Amino acid sequence: MEEKKAEASEVIVEVTTGGPLRISGNFILKDLKRSEESAPGEVWLCRCGKSSDKPYCDGSHRNK
Amino acid sequence: MEKNRSVSDDREYTNGEITVYWKPGACVHASYCYRELIEVFDPGRRPWVDMQGASTQKIIETVNMCPTEALSWKWNDEGKNADVGSDQYNHVKFRRPELMEKPASSQEGTPVSVKVMRDGPIIIKGNFSLKYGDNEKEIQDSLISICRCGSSEHQPFCDGTHRKKGFIG
Repeated sequence: MEEKKAEASEVIVEVTTGGPLRISGNFILKDLKRSEESAPGEVWLCRCGKSSDKPYCDGSHRNK
Repeated sequence: MEKNRSVSDDREYTNGEITVYWKPGACVHASYCYRELIEVFDPGRRPWVDMQGASTQKIIETVNMCPTEALSWKWNDEGKNADVGSDQYNHVKFRRPELMEKPASSQEGTPVSVKVMRDGPIIIKGNFSLKYGDNEKEIQDSLISICRCGSSEHQPFCDGTHRKKGFIG
């Protein structure tokens, strides 16, 4: 019954063009500033510095 | 570690008791050092390391926080270097496991670590695929640092500019 780990834990980090960082898969997200830790499965992280919902993207890069 | 040191920009600093080694080429600007101990590690000062700025113990603790090989340390008294605990991550004789060569199988199932640094970059560590534009690269047992302030000249990677810009986030 054991799943193949390589597939189950595959993590993809995608730098979207002009947009946020998308991370998906089996990863632990630690936010040291906000002292939060989670395993969200998928996340979109701000890369432009403008988001009001850091570390997450809120679409502000479009108004940059 | 000695065999990996390049001739050019590497530096070493001592307070007589320990020596701290600095390999700028390995730095990903995670910023643990200066956030933890600006008295010793001040990127805006030259030289940027002042070994008189804090106690030896505090300097060791801070160097051990560095997630790369950029900062490492050892006792000047070689006799003490044989007796360093395995929690002393950045002691020159205790390289952290992910920086040492080992079978890929030992890494299977270990979750990838994504750290959002305080007012700094995103540090991603482990085995993962990195997609950037039309490029896709397999990162094995390694670490990357992604810019979060939008000002890096080396996008998508962090180049330390967040500090100069005073990025808060």
